Formats: sequence, structure tokens, C-alpha cells
Amino acid sequence: MSGNPHSEFQLLLRAAHMRSRAKALDSRLIRILCPLQRQSRQLATATSRLPQSQPWSHPPASVNIDNDQVARLAAQPLRPLTLADLVRHGRPPLTAENLFSSANFTLSLLPIRLAHRIQALRNLPFIVVSNPHISRIYNNYIHSLSTLLPYQERRITNLEDEIQFTEVMADLVQTHSNTIPILARGFLECRKYISAADVTRFLDEHLRARIGTRLIAEQHIALHLSSQPHCGRDSRYQQDGCSSCIGVIDTALRPAEIIRHCESFVSEICELKYGVRPTVVINGQPDTALAHVPTHLEYILTELLKNAFRATVESGKEREPIEATIAASPDPPSSPLEEMKIDPLPIEQETSGPILPDPCIHGVTIRIRDRGGGISPETLPNIWAYSFTTFGDDEVFDISNNGNADALNAISGVGGDSSSLAGLGYGLPLGRAYAEHFGGGVQVQSLWGWGTDVYLKLRGLGRI
Amino acid sequence: MMQRLRPWGLAQSLSTRKPLIPPRYNTSTTAPWRPAAVLDDWVQKEARPISLRQLTFFGRTLTENRLISSANYVRTELPTRLAHRLRDMQTLPFVVVTNPHMSHVYDLYYRAFERLRRVQEIKSVEDNERYCKAISETLREHLTVIPRLAMGVLECQGLMRAQEMDKFMNTLLRSRISRRVIAEQHLALTETFNAPWHFPNAKAPMDPNAEFVGEVFLRCNAREVVDACWLRAKTLAEEAYGPDCAMPNIIVEGHLDATFPYILTHLQYVIGEILRNSIQAVVERRPSPSDRPPPIEVLICEAPQHVIIRISDQGGGIPKEIMPELWSFSKGSRSQAHLRNLSQVPKMAATMQELRLPNLNSRPLPSTESSKHSSLDGSLSSLTSRPPNLRLGVGLPMSRVYAEYWAGSLEIHNLEGYGVDAFFQISKLGNKNEQLSTRASMDAV
Repeated sequence: MSGNPHSEFQLLLRAAHMRSRAKALDSRLIRILCPLQRQSRQLATATSRLPQSQPWSHPPASVNIDNDQVARLAAQPLRPLTLADLVRHGRPPLTAENLFSSANFTLSLLPIRLAHRIQALRNLPFIVVSNPHISRIYNNYIHSLSTLLPYQERRITNLEDEIQFTEVMADLVQTHSNTIPILARGFLECRKYISAADVTRFLDEHLRARIGTRLIAEQHIALHLSSQPHCGRDSRYQQDGCSSCIGVIDTALRPAEIIRHCESFVSEICELKYGVRPTVVINGQPDTALAHVPTHLEYILTELLKNAFRATVESGKEREPIEATIAASPDPPSSPLEEMKIDPLPIEQETSGPILPDPCIHGVTIRIRDRGGGISPETLPNIWAYSFTTFGDDEVFDISNNGNADALNAISGVGGDSSSLAGLGYGLPLGRAYAEHFGGGVQVQSLWGWGTDVYLKLRGLGRI
Repeated sequence: MMQRLRPWGLAQSLSTRKPLIPPRYNTSTTAPWRPAAVLDDWVQKEARPISLRQLTFFGRTLTENRLISSANYVRTELPTRLAHRLRDMQTLPFVVVTNPHMSHVYDLYYRAFERLRRVQEIKSVEDNERYCKAISETLREHLTVIPRLAMGVLECQGLMRAQEMDKFMNTLLRSRISRRVIAEQHLALTETFNAPWHFPNAKAPMDPNAEFVGEVFLRCNAREVVDACWLRAKTLAEEAYGPDCAMPNIIVEGHLDATFPYILTHLQYVIGEILRNSIQAVVERRPSPSDRPPPIEVLICEAPQHVIIRISDQGGGIPKEIMPELWSFSKGSRSQAHLRNLSQVPKMAATMQELRLPNLNSRPLPSTESSKHSSLDGSLSSLTSRPPNLRLGVGLPMSRVYAEYWAGSLEIHNLEGYGVDAFFQISKLGNKNEQLSTRASMDAV
């Protein structure tokens, strides 16, 4: 975790390119910011008493969790989340009461979600979960659940508990930050033992669930960080100028700005790799703003722009600008968020937690249009499958290990997940998973021989 | 003959109806029902789908034998396909089929079935002549089917699930296209055969310059069709909105040479509908009538196996509430308005001779000059010549049926608040069979 040049580089990169606040999470930060360091140090030693997971361990995991507990938790239905849930605890800076409420809310959701994931992993073929990479992820989940089990019977009612809990959250986010490339690597190694369709099915469910789990945890951490009693002193971590932010949600997010950020990032890589730099033209309604999670949007747009840039350059059309059109659906009858009902929604279905849009939500559509020749009819059926790639197998293995790895691959990780996604073919399905999590979606229309139109639909929160 | 019930409150005149039941059945005044046995036999038969390429290859060298083969193919295909649809209608809920519009269509189909199934094997050119006459009459009679069906569907909302109704409509319309295609193709071939310059017994070489083989236009140039449809759509709009209303321009780019064989009227219908929707959207959206609306952009993209026509407008997009029923024949809240408008259309179709042709007579569509069956006589003409502000609600679902008929597709992408992109994909090689089976259930939004 610490001292890893790769993750520090990532931090630098993120700082340079992102404006999202809740990314740079290190449990040390929380301890630094909090006056009650004595308790923090106690927690640090407590954590280290947990048995380390082996680099290679066969299931069952090295940490002991009662199977009954996992089964009991996994039997409970996943509660569909709304964005309203995430902001119901109020705008930062939160009062202590609200912070406890946020912590308890988080506590009510996470163990169940983790248990479902563990269950799903356990049901993968034995040979697959025995693979060291998959096994590592499996153990990460077991570890995380074990850190939450002590809270099962308690509610958080005081500051020390809340700080401790937030550290647990930070640990969770940190532990699982590299899940995707590790899983990808593992499934790649196991491709002889499990069908592509099964991999896609598992990953789709798993990664979608992961989006929600991380969101809940990161939201609580962000709310914690931005609340006066805890981080008033250190101005670096104060919410500088983001008066429209509620935790990880920015209620006045402007897609045009995000597009420009992502454009500058992607065109740097493009220039590095190909020597040319296509441009992006933004039209439509560029002043549109909506409530959304900046890091999610950054991820999706980066992936879409990467695809568009690559196609444009590789078909020799770098002079043709890529067109990004922003369309905002007309304002619905407004319903200020505070007036919206914040009762829990009835549980309608067991899902991995796509967040349901409320009826009066502002919708935005972003169309990315390129002249890069389109997607061939042979490739088109596979674009939504995980681990489909047009890069060769040998290139893939160079990715996270080789110091001489292609610069494009090494530094192209943006928007929350690791650097080794380029070439692994996860961009589209994962981007769509992010979009759909909030009731939006991604649609691709290929004009083979001309170019591609991609439609990104986003649902926002409504007026606040 | 089916007894007409009165739940819909319309009087029906029974006296003018000819008895269709062969004499050996009971013809008492209690409601006899049509013998199902005959229909059962025909329902057992499978339809034999055909491809565009087969249609053209078949018609390229016309000999008497070929003509008679074609006649006999049509002779068995028509009643078979009709029988399948009749059975579909018979299994709809009773209350639906007794709706006056639906029962009008049901009767038309049954009469056609009864007439056509009795035709004996065609053995000579004279037999064929009689047969062609019967087909022409039937085709003309059935011109009212589409508006009547559309009205029936709207009136029957709530009596059936919209999804099932749409499935039924799509199957019905698809089959209808197929019957008209093979019938009209055969009629066109017969006309060619009979034409004074055609020597049926000579070994006619394949004429590589033939532009039309029956109804199939071998060299539909996408750009020309778009231009022609645009001209027509714009003219209709100008008439409807008045001379003070500024019209948008059209920009056509891409692979302008793209050319492929297709049934021209189908192409014109789909492109025409989309352009009309776009014009209406951009015209009605602009802040003041004299502002020139933003242009409509058409892109033609040609690939080895297909051609895609993309039509993009900045007409403000489709409101979210309407999206779920976009492709449906059931229109929810807007049904009343559509019903009113639809009732104006059958009058135009029912009296084809009095059809008010728009002032396009002086500017005929260039590609129809050589078409023996001008699009203006076809069943689509009354729909395509209506003023654009007469919203019927069938344009998109119908266009999709036509698009998918030869294994193509029609997709709409909505940028709500900005505009709409429509993608019409056409299979270029003509080697895909007609899609006669029901398509999978529609996408939900």
C-alpha cells in the first residue's frame, strides 16, 4: 500500500487531472486529520493483529469467518439504492449526528453486499478460484467482511467509533482498489477452464456490485473528510470551492468541463503513442450541468474518448475532429431534493444495486461521434464482453509487470481504477456499467466504413 | 358468415354481403360459422420466403414458362400467407376482432382467401391473365387495411396488452408486405411479358441495363432517393406551414455513389417518414417562423454488405414520456388525436381516383418515371401524401416493419433536448430472405 511507486504516480496523475475530492484515500490521512490520534493508533495495532492473507492460499481463506454468518448475510436481499440515499444525511459540513447516521446507514448495507460477492466467488469453479489472482481477490473480500463483522450488533453513536469506522472504510477502499486488473489477469490465465460467456456474466454482476459498494464507502469517507469537526485545519483537504459537492457527488457537474479534462489527458497519451493529436469539438448545450459523480463520468468519458481517438488516428483521420454533443432534457417540474421523500424505497428486486432514478430527474445525453471507420461487423457482437480485446495476448501480459510497458498502457488508467485497463477491453462494458448504475446507459452505433456514434445517457439527481 | 355483434354501437348492413359458404353448409339465419377445416389445411402449409435477389434473377429472363411458374408460386403463397394471418386474427380476443375496423379487415382478408384459394393451377397465359385480374382487384380492395388496422388498434387499447397487440400488428404488416411484394412483382412481370416490345419466345439475353425487374429497382442510388424524398417532404411541409415559414436545408454527405437493388417504394416510404418527422420537429422548434431552422444532415455509409443512412436533426429530440411507445401502434395518451387524424386518411385511400394529388404532378419523382407501378398508386401513397401535420402515429412502427422486411433495421437514438439520429440499415446484396417470422419482443426503454 505505501511506498508503491505505481500508486504514488497514480496519485500525482490524479491530482493533476482530476478535480474529484474523494479519490486520494489513504487511511493515514484520516488519522492525520483527526485530533483523536491515540485511538487511531490503537486501531492500527488492532488491524495488524488480523492474520495476513497468504500470497497464494487455497480456499477456504486464511481468515476465519463463520460460514453461517456469510450465508445469513448473503440471504438478505440487496437493497436498491437511490442517489437520494447518498445525500440524505445532509450537505457537508455534517453535524456529528448526521455523520453517525451516515456511518450507520453504510453499516446497514455493506456487510450484505460483501457477503453476496463472497458467495458469488465461492460459486466459481474451484480451479478458477484457486488461481492466485482470483484467490487474492477472494481473500480481500473475506478480510473486508471480517473487519465489519465486529460492528454487526452495534450502532455508531460517538466520534471515536465513527473515526474508527471511517478508517475501516478507507482500508476497504484501498484494499480493493486494484481488483479489476487482478481479476482480469486471473481470468485471462483461467481462460481454458471457464467460458467467455461465464466470465462476462460473473464480471458484469461483480463489477456492477462493486461500483455501488465503493460508492457507499467513498461517500461516507468524503462526508467525513468534508465535515468541520474533523478536518477543519488542513486546508489541503478542505473542499476548496466545491460548494456544490455533497461527498463524492457534485450537484453542479458540467460535462463539458469533464470532456475537456479527459480530452487533454487522452490526447497526451495519443501524442505519446502515435505522434498526432485529434481535437474534440463540443457542441449542443455546453453549459449543461447535472448532479452526478465526477469520477464515474471521468472514467466513462475517458474510455469513450480513448476509443474514438484510437480509431480516428489508426484510420488516418486525425484531422477530423471528434464531435461531442451535449443534450440536456428540458427541466422537469422541479422538486427540491430536500422535499423529496427520503423514505427507503420498497425492495423491488434483488439486484446488484443499480441506483434507481426518481421520476423528476434531469437527463443528459452526450453523443461522441468519430470518423474512425467504425466497428467491423465481426467485432461488433463482442464489444460488450469483458476481456475482449483487439490487442494480442502477448501484449496483455506485458502490462502490469513490465517496466518497459507501453506508455499508453502504463499511464492510461484514469478515473478510479488501475492503469492496466488499456488493451484489456474493459472500457466499454465497465463504462456502461457505471452509466447504468445511475439509470443511464451507453449505446454504440457503428457505421462500418465511416465512423462510430456513441450515446452516453446520464440521469442526474434533480434540482437541489 | 360471422354475425356482427353491436358492442361498438355501429350499424352494419348485412343485406349486401354475398354468402361465401359453399351450399352444402347450413345457411339458416342463426349465426353459422365459417368452416374452419379449409383454413386449417392452408394453415398447415409453410410459407416459402423469397429473397430480393431471387426476385430479380427470376424476372430477368422472362419466358412463358417462367411467367407461369411465377403465377403458380403466387397462387399458392398468397392463400397460405393469408391463412396464417387469418388464424392469428381468429385467436385474438373476441372483443377485439368484433371492433368494426378490425372486423372490416378480417372480412377483407377472408374474402380474399376464399377467392384466391379456389384458383386452379395456372397452365396458360390466358389463365394468368384472369389470375392477374383477380389479384389486382384484391390489392385495390385492401388499400384501406393500414388505416383501418391502425384505428382498430387504438380503439382496442386496454383490451389487450400493448406488447401483444404490437406483436400481432408487426406480424400482420410484415405478411402484408410480403403478399403485396410477390403479387405486385408478378403483375409487373406479366406487364413486361405483355409489353409490345417484348418477344416472349425469343431467347432474350439478360439485359444488363435493365433498371427495373418488376418492382425491384436494381440501381437505387441512396443519394438520389434521399434528394427526391426531401423534395417531396419539403413541398408538403411548405404547403402545410405556409410560405412565411422558413424551411431547413439538407446536407447529404458520405458515400454518395452507394447503389443497391431494392423495392423503391419501400425505400421512399421509410426515408420519407423520417425526413418528415425531422422537418416537422425543426420547424416547430425554432423561436420564430422566419428563423431558418438548423439543417438536417444525412450521411450515407456504404460497406461491403450493407448501406446505412443516418439522418440527424436538431429538432429538440423526443420527450422521454413518449419513448416507450415510439415503436408501438398503441399510443397511450395521444390516441384520441391520432384516431381523429386516421379517420381522415381512409377517405383518401377509399377513393383512389379522387385522391388529391399534391402539386407534385409537375415535379414527379425522377426515379418513378420508369417504374411501372408508380408509387402514387400504391397503398403507401395516401399515407405519404398526407400533410405533415396530420400525425397518424404509425410512421415509425410501419417504417421499421418495412426496414426489417429485407433483413435491414431502423434505429432511433434520442438526444432529448437537442435532436434525433435515425439509422436506416439496408442489406445491400439482396440475398437475405424476407423476414416472415415474428421479430423478438421490442426493446423497452
